[in-house]
Amino acid sequence: MKFIIITLIGLFAFAFAHGQDSRLAGRVTDTIGNRVVGARVTLEGVGMQAGPPIKVVLTDTTGAFSFVGLPRGNYQLVVHKRGYADWQTTVSLTGDTDGFTVVLEGKVHLLDEVLVVDNHVERRKQEESLNLEVVGKDFVYRNLGGSLMKSLERLPGVQTIGIGSGQSKPLIRGLGFNRVVVVDRGIKHEGQQWGSDHGLELDQFAVGEVEIIKGAASFVYGSDAIGGAIDVKPEALPAPHTRAVSVDLVGRSNNHSYGTSVRIGGRSDKWFVDSRLTYLRYGDYRVPADTVYVYDYAVPLQGQRLRNTAGRETDVHFTAGYLAERFNSILYVNNIDNKAGFFANAHGLEPRRVDVELHDKSVRDILLPSQQVNHFKAISKNALHLGAHHIEAELGFQRNFRQEHSPYVNHGYMPSSLPDTLGVPTTLEREFDKQVYALNVKDYVELGKHQLTFGLNGERQHNRIGGWTFLVPSFAQSTVGVFAYDRYRLTDRLLLHGAVRFDHGSLRMHEYRDWFPSDVPEGGQAYLVRAADLHRRFNSLVWSIGMNYEPFENLSLKANIGKSFRMPIAKELSANGVNYHYFSYERGNPSLAAEQSYQADLAVEWNTDGWQIQVSPFYNYFPNYIYLNPTAAFDHFYGAGNQVFEYAESRVMRYGGEVQVSRRLGRSLKAEVLGEYLFSQQLSGTKKGFSLPFAPPPSLLMGLSWSPERPGSPFIELDYRLVAAQDRIVPPEKKTAGCGVMALRAGGTARVAGMPVHLNVQVQNLLDTKYMDHTSFYRLIELPEMGRNIVLSLRIPVISKQNE
Amino acid sequence: MRIIIAFGAMALALSCSKDAETVDTEYPVIDGNFAGAFPQQCGTVRRGETFVFRAKFSDNVALGSFSLDVHDNFDHHSHSTEVEACDMGPVKEAEAPFKYIKSFDIPGAPKTYEAEVAIAVPADVDPGDYHFLMRVTDREGWQTLRGLSIKIE
Repeated sequence: MKFIIITLIGLFAFAFAHGQDSRLAGRVTDTIGNRVVGARVTLEGVGMQAGPPIKVVLTDTTGAFSFVGLPRGNYQLVVHKRGYADWQTTVSLTGDTDGFTVVLEGKVHLLDEVLVVDNHVERRKQEESLNLEVVGKDFVYRNLGGSLMKSLERLPGVQTIGIGSGQSKPLIRGLGFNRVVVVDRGIKHEGQQWGSDHGLELDQFAVGEVEIIKGAASFVYGSDAIGGAIDVKPEALPAPHTRAVSVDLVGRSNNHSYGTSVRIGGRSDKWFVDSRLTYLRYGDYRVPADTVYVYDYAVPLQGQRLRNTAGRETDVHFTAGYLAERFNSILYVNNIDNKAGFFANAHGLEPRRVDVELHDKSVRDILLPSQQVNHFKAISKNALHLGAHHIEAELGFQRNFRQEHSPYVNHGYMPSSLPDTLGVPTTLEREFDKQVYALNVKDYVELGKHQLTFGLNGERQHNRIGGWTFLVPSFAQSTVGVFAYDRYRLTDRLLLHGAVRFDHGSLRMHEYRDWFPSDVPEGGQAYLVRAADLHRRFNSLVWSIGMNYEPFENLSLKANIGKSFRMPIAKELSANGVNYHYFSYERGNPSLAAEQSYQADLAVEWNTDGWQIQVSPFYNYFPNYIYLNPTAAFDHFYGAGNQVFEYAESRVMRYGGEVQVSRRLGRSLKAEVLGEYLFSQQLSGTKKGFSLPFAPPPSLLMGLSWSPERPGSPFIELDYRLVAAQDRIVPPEKKTAGCGVMALRAGGTARVAGMPVHLNVQVQNLLDTKYMDHTSFYRLIELPEMGRNIVLSLRIPVISKQNE
Repeated sequence: MRIIIAFGAMALALSCSKDAETVDTEYPVIDGNFAGAFPQQCGTVRRGETFVFRAKFSDNVALGSFSLDVHDNFDHHSHSTEVEACDMGPVKEAEAPFKYIKSFDIPGAPKTYEAEVAIAVPADVDPGDYHFLMRVTDREGWQTLRGLSIKIE
């Protein structure tokens, strides 16, 4: 650049030396010397010869341009090319000038970083009366856990049920399973949410933004959104006229994990294609213990590693679409494939004998027992602007195919070895095959101060089962729901919300009969019917009202009260089988009504010089919470001698909330305290006075972060999370002691070869503390949580450039 | 702000009143050191004979019921819940394994109970390694289980 300026000054010095008809020729390149083709070069007279542009040329395929027949004098030279910063200078032409060099600086458009610089998150929060947290890709990267939900766990009110080191499922204020809806690219994610050892099949590298809605969200999301919803938005689309390749690399020390995610995409003005491939492998994870105890039986661990908790994940995404001002249509196709082992020394609560030598040969092999899940999705997302209407429609198909593998073990009345005639592989314990078709249509209409939304959701499910054990029958399910939602801006400071929704659902269960005979009360043996043909229909009317109010500057208030519902699931209605891993005989209740919930939410946020305080309490009441109640009885016919667990309904009250306080200390330092508290109690039924299962204990997170305003936005964050003991338990849980866990995060962006490379380093469980997580899948067999884990991640834009 | 304080006070009041109501969160106990307990870990019973299962159960409030399950472990599929490991015979295929599954009520919801069940082992069952699994619940549904490795000779 300096060279050019000096050249220009030099040229200037000769400004008036010569006569007429000179030539100006040169080349346009980018910062790394590549020719820029098709740039518009404009030459304008300045000073005495001011006037309209006298000449415009485009650079040729070599990036060259030339003007001939120019009178000597001063000119203004402007070079314009889409995607680059405009370049201009003054040229004093005193004679033929060749070899004029123009270097254009690219506007940096990393595909995964098209940061729409607006305050849409703030606005979204201000216009939503429910409690809402929104996090972006950066938050996910900074807190990168083994799975998406683990990465979000820092947020107050969000907890997870971790299944080993690579899988987890969400809990919002202690509610999870089928009481939280996960939406991926506009369509409800349907896996096997009911199972405590079933994780969520989402690729956290392909996530753009995540919205966590706490509270009664059924009026938008339909059945199941009782605890709230997690709306996972796709990555930002490529900017117009760009193409890019970016590579993410991640490594974790604790479970010897490594992985990569590669994105390749590009866009013309209106059409785009985008793709991503993610591959992750992890070994057995390490806990800070040499021996763990399954009941009283000591299980020595080699190298403190939990035998057979290794896994792998391969995700493929393909996206293509058309984006215009009035209409856009995007097709998302992706496939998530997961395989992970279960801790080999126990399967559920059952202590297992293992071939230690075989298992300890490698920390990476995935032996039995294990689970394998393949989740395929094809979603077409469309939007149309028509006058005052904005119409969105999503059509989706997904298939969740899940297999659980274990050596055949004869429990109860099962024969000692699996007969060949059954046609089931000896290691196929369970298989679930779910196929779901879904359609959503929404119409947003602006009518004066009213912002109306009308919506329709329809879903059709087919569920088939396989394997040599039985938990839930095959079933088909159809649901349809319609809703209307009005957002009314009464004044600048007051926004009112009202919504109403009607749903109809139909569930058709198919008969399942044991493949082996059992002793029956009438004497002798028979093939027991575990689930009978059953058809149930449900209707539900839910509503929600709320407001956003800003009484003063810096203070905002939110209030919402709403009713949510959930259709009973097949297991709750029709289970009649033995879960041998939990020594439980689970008996469904075919007459259960749809679960209903009323919730009141409040949020107060106060922002003033350096302080940010947010308090969000809630109160929730269920007239009929559906609960798997462990009874005092055993059943030696249908239950093969196991404890009877019965699905029952009870009145339940829950309340609690989150407190978030942060304070800026100087320009770069910030301290914050995040607290969460939850109390739940059953008000009726045989467990009156008891809590609900998976109740997260109160916790307090204290964080200190340092992020100076320097190029590359470096940061260092230190977290200390204090978790109280959980003594409020229900059978078959165990009391969990309190603990304190520390985490350290640091990162920033460095320019390497002109490209911004993002680096994040994390140390989870910094002090290698031995503790148990009350909501972890392995809590019941008393396995401690993961020890110290150093996570290193890099985001590298390999190519990021304008189309020619 | 007043709303928060009011809510906080209410929450506090509610949580205090709830703490007064205590619920039973204790598991029942199977007494492993009970003098007459039978069978014992790594113990032996004989084919063609009847043995008497004896155990002592206790709970802080009230016992519910118990269940017994005897099944073969010829494939060494799992181990017992006990500290002590036993010598196991070779892995083998089952032909006529002994199987016993039965559950029993504990009458009167007592705090302690001595269980006694006569179990006949037929003469023609496969000898070898077996599991003896006992499970006891209390009235609230807390379940304690104990798995023993035994041999049938």
